Amino acid sequence: MKLKQLYVLLMRLAERFQMVQLVIIFLALFTDRKKSAIHHFRLALSINPLLWAAYEELCVLGAAKEATVVFSEAAALCIQNQYLHHGLPSPNLHMSSEDYNLVSSRNFGSEDVSPRKLKHTQGNNLRGIPGNHHGAVVLSGAASQPQNGGPSNMSFYNTPSPMASQLSGVAPPPLCRNMQPNGSNLNTVNTDGSPRSIVNSTIQAPRRKFVDEGKLRKISGRLFSDSGPRRSTRLTGDTGANTNANTAAVAGNGTNNSSKYLGSSKLSSVAPRTVTVRKGQSWVNENIEEGIRNEAFDDSCANVASTTSSSFSSDNVRSLDHDGATVLVGGVVVSGAKAVSGASEVLCLLRTLGEGYRLSCLYRCQDALDAYLRLPHRHYNTSWVLSQVGKAHFELVDYLEADLAFSLARQVSPYSLEGMDIYSTVLYHLKEDMKLSYLTQELISTDRLAPQSWCAMGNCYSLQKDHETALKIFHRAVRLNSRFAYAHTLSGHEYVALEDFENGIKSYQNALRIDSRHYNAWYGLGMIFFRQERFEFSEHHFGMALQINPCSSVIMSYLGTTLHALKKSEDAIKIMDRAILADRKNPLPMYQKANILMSLEKFDDALEVLEELKEYAPRESSVYALMGKIYKRRNMHEKAMLHFGIALDLKPSATDVATIKAAIEKLHVPDELEDNLSTE
Amino acid sequence: MATESSESEEEGKITGGNQHLIVEDDLREMGKKAAWSVSSCKTGNGVSSLRDDNLETYWQSDGAQPHLVNIQFQKKVKLQLVVLYVDFKLDESYTPSKISIRAGDGFHNLKEIKTVELVKPTGWVYLSLSGNDPRETFVNTFMLQIAVLSNHLNGRDTHVRQIKVYGPRPNPIPHQPFQFTSREFITYSTVR
Repeated sequence: MKLKQLYVLLMRLAERFQMVQLVIIFLALFTDRKKSAIHHFRLALSINPLLWAAYEELCVLGAAKEATVVFSEAAALCIQNQYLHHGLPSPNLHMSSEDYNLVSSRNFGSEDVSPRKLKHTQGNNLRGIPGNHHGAVVLSGAASQPQNGGPSNMSFYNTPSPMASQLSGVAPPPLCRNMQPNGSNLNTVNTDGSPRSIVNSTIQAPRRKFVDEGKLRKISGRLFSDSGPRRSTRLTGDTGANTNANTAAVAGNGTNNSSKYLGSSKLSSVAPRTVTVRKGQSWVNENIEEGIRNEAFDDSCANVASTTSSSFSSDNVRSLDHDGATVLVGGVVVSGAKAVSGASEVLCLLRTLGEGYRLSCLYRCQDALDAYLRLPHRHYNTSWVLSQVGKAHFELVDYLEADLAFSLARQVSPYSLEGMDIYSTVLYHLKEDMKLSYLTQELISTDRLAPQSWCAMGNCYSLQKDHETALKIFHRAVRLNSRFAYAHTLSGHEYVALEDFENGIKSYQNALRIDSRHYNAWYGLGMIFFRQERFEFSEHHFGMALQINPCSSVIMSYLGTTLHALKKSEDAIKIMDRAILADRKNPLPMYQKANILMSLEKFDDALEVLEELKEYAPRESSVYALMGKIYKRRNMHEKAMLHFGIALDLKPSATDVATIKAAIEKLHVPDELEDNLSTE
Repeated sequence: MATESSESEEEGKITGGNQHLIVEDDLREMGKKAAWSVSSCKTGNGVSSLRDDNLETYWQSDGAQPHLVNIQFQKKVKLQLVVLYVDFKLDESYTPSKISIRAGDGFHNLKEIKTVELVKPTGWVYLSLSGNDPRETFVNTFMLQIAVLSNHLNGRDTHVRQIKVYGPRPNPIPHQPFQFTSREFITYSTVR
């Protein structure tokens, strides 16, 4: 088929052209060649360790190595080497308007690179103000062949030079800084801008090192008169790591407080997705990038600091020559030595972020939260990080915390759509229909064509129990982006609510085809089979879901009920206990355990569990109803009556009212019989 | 339960009707899963007008009384409420007057479960199928038949604009004896 041919062709080209690598990766994913995709991602990462996009995708595929391994010091050296090898960056850095936050500019010599394929911008935080490039930087880490002697995967920091001529009048995009490495001139370079951000000696230390800020401001002022205010405050904080390399050393880039640029912080890689390169004005990715980058530089990168500072102020912006004679970083020429320090800083940040992201993809949510907490405040309070924190809380079934995190994320970056579909689900669980409708309105007005907005709307209708409309809306989300797995899963849920199991199964399977680690879809399939009483299938699917997300107590408890239905009651009870331990706040496993015990006729144990449950949820009608049922079985009629009465007072649903009342009626009969017998 | 705007003293008589259809949250409409048929109809005013959510269109019968609307399900379902939209002001002598609701497994063993007399109804009329006994909250059946035994002003044929049939919502968690009521339980009970 065509895709296959394309794939083969690309493989051949890959050796020659780096950018092709990333294209291959995505193609491989589309054609389900997961192993190949993983292999290429790893390859890309080894060539260019700052390629955050690759690491992110690896995490999603569940095949990422630990962040410390990937973003190690060795990687920094590797980057440095690349720097030194390549000559000038070509001026064509083209900031693609889409999401590239960071586009690492690659020098393709004369070639105009348009790595567009990369959706995620490369790790380099290029906060680039691409001075002269409008070229997109290719992110693909792959091919290291320099074309024309010089492109490397390194992101180049371009400091916009006042020589607008080269700048082509493009306001520097917030993120990209292209640094044009110039081997020869490296020594002279000092990245003023970058150092700032880079050095973060400690995570806690406020990154702001205002030391160079003043200088940067001046420089940047000269450089960019038109750049709008950037959100660089976060970045500014960066200690003056002088790492030139990573952080967008753009010191010069006046526009944003260059602080942002500093160093790595700019690596937008972190969450490039929604970043759009704004011509200098908006720092879209700021949120994450900044945070990330800054972070990266912390601790480990401290050393970098001093070097560049000196050279720093000196050179202002110099235009980036196309012949790459000088590497301009923020107007300062960057020296090669700084490159590595800059790289280290960036890597530091990436390490923390990467670790957090990897852990949350493995659903080790508590660990992920701890990892994110290690980020400095400035980085933590960025939209991407807060979204990830929200997601982690969501997976831990801690919806209140998730709500907090997500609303903070929205305050910080109200136009970001990342993670908002999860936020809508959180609000759905919390039954906050006002907030949910409000969120939906905001999202739709931000972007009518994003599947996340429509997912939120669908959740809104589903909360109102209007499942048919919700289904239509989820279909719309699917049509907008058929590779958005969550939309398929949500459609599956709606089909199930409408009792259309066939289509539900199809939807869940679609979701799994796109992302086989989407545990909600596995869970959904398990539930359908459970309803249809195909317990073996159900057990298998719940098992798969649990494998992917081993700390979800809800899935454990359903697996337990399935096992019980398969008559493996011992295992069932074991799993229930695990579920109870996993999340003490979850009443479901206790209730199911009581159910199982009751059907095993272990009435006392069941009653014990229910008594405990009563403490936790004193107004839950079903607990009392079940207790009443058990007392009835034990022939303790008075207690049964008492509990049934309480259950009725707590307003159960109509069906349950009927069941309970019927049970009460039946209670009288044995009494009467007894009376009759006793009188005889 | 759905409210009736007024109910006369005598048992089985219903007057008036609601303009808005308001049904409790724990009921859901079951008509989509059923096969609907009528004993007779005039061309252009067939059974589809009963289910089109359009109050302008109506079913008009075209034969001898009683006029029947048959609702057949593929499996036994629990039903709790039947709602009709009839309007004396618009339909006058076509407005049904005496209605009998029967249930059973099929045409051969239908049994009457409710009779009601409408007196100049003007909107949605709610007919609950529950008995007095709490055990009879629902009618568990394969088939429901709504029979129009007579019309206002002794009209021969009848107009009915819409019919809806409601039953309880199933437990969102399968194989559970009771439904959850409190927030904590519901929040934790599913993964979305």
